[in-house]
Amino acid sequence: MAADGSLAVSAASGTGRASSLERFARRRSTIAFLMTLPLLVVVIGLVGYPAAYGIYLSTLNRRMTGFMEGDWLPTGLGNFEILFDSDTFWMVVWQSCIFAISAVLLKALIGFWLAHMLHHIPTKGQRKWRGMLLVPWVIPPALSTLGWWWMFDPSYSSINWILNIFAVPAVPWLGEPWWARASVIIVNVWYGAPFFMIMYLAALKSVPEQLYEAAAIDGATSWQRLRYVTLPMMANIISITVLFSLIVTFANYDIVRVLTNGGPRDLTHVFASYAFQVGILSSNIPRGAAVSLFMFPILAVCAFFVLRGVTRRNKEQM
Amino acid sequence: MSRNGITRRNVLRNGAGVVAAGALSAPMVHAQGTGGTLRCGFWDHWVPAGNGIMRELCAEWGRANRVEVNVEFITSVGNQNLLTINAQAQSRSGHDILSFPTWEPAAKHELLEPMDDVMGRLAQKYGEVTPAAEYLGKVGGKWVAVPAVSGTQLKPSCTRFDLMQQHAGLDMRAMWPAKAERGPGADGWTWEAFAAAAEKCKAAGVPFGLPMGQFSDAVDWVGGLLTSYGANMMDARGNPTIRNNAKLRQAVEMLVRISRALPDDVWAWDDASNNRALISGRSALVFNPPSAWAVAKRDQPQVAENCWYAPCPAGPEGAYVGYLPYFWGIWSFSRMKPAAKGLIEFLSERPQAERQTNTSSGYDIPPFLSMSDFRIWETEGPPTGFAYNYPVKPHQNQKTSVAFAPAPAEFAVQAYNNGLNTKLIARIVQGGESIDQAMGWVERELNTIRRGG
Amino acid sequence: MSATTASRDVPGIYHKAGSLRSERRWAMWWAYVSLIVAAIIFLAPPFYMLLTSFKTNAEIADHSLNPWWIRAPTIEHYAAILSNPIFIRFFINSVIVTGCVVVLTMVISVLAAFALARMRFWGSQVLATGVFLTYLVPDTLLFIPLYQIVGGLGLLNSIWGLVLVYPTLTVPFCTWIMIGYFASIPKELDEAALIDGANWMQMLMKIFVPVAMPGIIAATIFAFTVSWAAFVYPTAFVTTAEQMPLTIGVVSQLVRGDTFAWGQIMAGALMAALPPVIIYAFLMDYYIAGLTAGATKG
Repeated sequence: MAADGSLAVSAASGTGRASSLERFARRRSTIAFLMTLPLLVVVIGLVGYPAAYGIYLSTLNRRMTGFMEGDWLPTGLGNFEILFDSDTFWMVVWQSCIFAISAVLLKALIGFWLAHMLHHIPTKGQRKWRGMLLVPWVIPPALSTLGWWWMFDPSYSSINWILNIFAVPAVPWLGEPWWARASVIIVNVWYGAPFFMIMYLAALKSVPEQLYEAAAIDGATSWQRLRYVTLPMMANIISITVLFSLIVTFANYDIVRVLTNGGPRDLTHVFASYAFQVGILSSNIPRGAAVSLFMFPILAVCAFFVLRGVTRRNKEQM
Repeated sequence: MSRNGITRRNVLRNGAGVVAAGALSAPMVHAQGTGGTLRCGFWDHWVPAGNGIMRELCAEWGRANRVEVNVEFITSVGNQNLLTINAQAQSRSGHDILSFPTWEPAAKHELLEPMDDVMGRLAQKYGEVTPAAEYLGKVGGKWVAVPAVSGTQLKPSCTRFDLMQQHAGLDMRAMWPAKAERGPGADGWTWEAFAAAAEKCKAAGVPFGLPMGQFSDAVDWVGGLLTSYGANMMDARGNPTIRNNAKLRQAVEMLVRISRALPDDVWAWDDASNNRALISGRSALVFNPPSAWAVAKRDQPQVAENCWYAPCPAGPEGAYVGYLPYFWGIWSFSRMKPAAKGLIEFLSERPQAERQTNTSSGYDIPPFLSMSDFRIWETEGPPTGFAYNYPVKPHQNQKTSVAFAPAPAEFAVQAYNNGLNTKLIARIVQGGESIDQAMGWVERELNTIRRGG
Repeated sequence: MSATTASRDVPGIYHKAGSLRSERRWAMWWAYVSLIVAAIIFLAPPFYMLLTSFKTNAEIADHSLNPWWIRAPTIEHYAAILSNPIFIRFFINSVIVTGCVVVLTMVISVLAAFALARMRFWGSQVLATGVFLTYLVPDTLLFIPLYQIVGGLGLLNSIWGLVLVYPTLTVPFCTWIMIGYFASIPKELDEAALIDGANWMQMLMKIFVPVAMPGIIAATIFAFTVSWAAFVYPTAFVTTAEQMPLTIGVVSQLVRGDTFAWGQIMAGALMAALPPVIIYAFLMDYYIAGLTAGATKG
């Protein structure tokens, strides 16, 4: 039918083609503009404008009556100067990086492993397993974190109860800094690993079976098959997913908010929770805005690479 | 009606504005009230019955004054109340009456309606106010909020007398009997003795449950200890007083010693963790108002029966108990000011105050010194009289302490909300820093606060 | 057990390669062991939440019991929470906000995706990239300026403030996957429609929307789950209980000083999590398609 239609175009519009096309094009661009207008409103009004406004806010003083003076930085950059001078802030930077990098690595590894395992079992059972394993991703994280919080409770930890059976001493999950950081990472990995699993499973399924057969004929071991067939074929998906997740994890807020609220003594704060603490809870809006602006360069670098990977992928598919 | 300082016409006039303005968002304007809707955001009480009495009192007052009173309760868990205060200050809209903890009235005083008229009338009837409440509620000699009954709390020692006797050899009931006298050994109830008891109880597996996180229970008891050593971190002009402060160092050393005898994860405890520690039966002592006891009475009665209150231990400069007052304030952008003032005055009067304190098992501490004779503290139990020493009484030689006093409110509120005093100790005990390093850190933080203010 | 049947199914022609078969069987065992361990860990927290929600307060508070078991199941927490008007209020708020946001999102993104995928115009390529970049902007980057802006509009403490800002979370991604779906529809289809005298709007509604239905369902599910689970914006923008959606309502209102509300908290959290889980259970394939479309299509 499509072929017939395109034939008809060339046949029917022999005369008066130019003028109608002209009008058509003019109309088309107007309509297209009108159709994208709501999107433009969202992008400019709710992302572009707040971003610019955020930068402006970060230059103001606490009461927002004027620019924030600086000692060694020019007027307007006083908030940044104070952050540069603050131990707590540098700790937050460091913690955000530890948190994001280790959580994403673990998520990617576990997700990759599970996708592989799922790919191994008969297709019949895959759906059922996949359905079960994706549950952590489906529950809104703020709510499942409440469950984790209760499992980590100092007096009533059910995880410690299990550990005690194996004669392992109780773990101060949220009390000791490194354990608290580990707990935040555990919850984030628990929540995010299924997503990686699903992505990698989709990618694994798209690797042509012939490649494996050819490799098997060449006598490749399973490690070699993984190294020389699977990984190269999946490289793009892996990098996109990892970068994507890096952005989301880096900017995570809900898990820290529910689980530790930044404690003990700010040692689990990440950018988002610290910005919240400073900006909204202590009502220093400009400094909070300055804190969250620090996320921007890191996110921009990630975004650049994601975009590159995505366009490359689109080209491959074309 | 006129007793509470509002005239019917006033209420009507103000009410009409609210009805018109609130038509979009306020579906709770019922036919019954003709005076408009008064919206109150009270502190969400930790004693299960504590909210009910507020609702009841507001309904009573509303009926008598023909004003619809809409009551909401805002929890302090996760600092939700601070979030609410800031959001309302930011958007210049919200409740008419709101509960403000410790430093918030002074920090937000520019946006609060002066309450000198209400406080003047109340003071005439009931006399003096607890000095700490006056210190926090007055800015530039003017009352900016009325010290509340509901929610105002002290944090003396709530002990398990059985465990204290068994493991630390201290008979708390004999030391602090349920009458106005000091028992044998009461004079030895010092931080030294306290630390020794804490160590013994930790060895016995029932460590003291003292939070060291950044929430008010932690900040308040640490603040009390600092005051009892005469140590403060910032003076009234906003200058940090950390360097070469021998009293502060001495107090810090004591805090370090005590916190080593606490459970390992106290650094992450919030205001509910100590309650849970007591209720679960795993702790011999907490610094808390009787909410933990009230919940234990419901869920773990055998724990509640062994609870007994004692004052805070004494330091070189006396005994100071952590005091967390709430204040009822009225936003300057409220459209119901006269009605709001009327309700606040009604809630502060002795009969209503006593009902609040009674219903909350004695939790609520009324601000007027003349009201420290409510019967409830002698009769509540089991064990009967366990709360006798919960409020401040003359024989205890105990005073109330406000963490980070005498610093200026705008700085103190930040230091308080950030828990700078507990973080100082945490850096030493948990972070392994030396006292000098940690003191240097806290001085830098205080300077940062000063610069940003 | 299924592992053994599976390996028995292997056709007889491979009998020569005995080592290969045993290697496969090992791999299969290993796969099942890993999956079982993963499933236990992945499902333990929701299971424990479920367990806690059916325990009495006294049982939760009792230290001597096995926390992973339940002696006297009770539905008192569910009864309490369902008869709690504020919880019902949260639920209604969530439904209103999510409903509005989903409709708004789908209208905006289907229109825009159609224009961007089919009606090449000046700047359309840049805009498509811009949309994708917008998707990469996390909500935590801009919540403070948005707090000021929403406050300036007088929409703090109002569900309408949330309806206003949630599209920043949903529109970019939905537009992006819809562009992908629309681009995969053969060009011949629209040419045929144009010949038949259809205008752009008819073309979109009569051809593109029906053909791209799976994509639309996937995008709708995405918009639904994201706005149902949104946390940062409501935490910052809404502090009055009666205007809170479920997520923040459960976290901030059910966690009370009253120490043993755990049964109720868990019951509330589970019920709040129910709608996305139900959608997932019934529309898993669309759900997963939407999830993977983000990377497979772009």
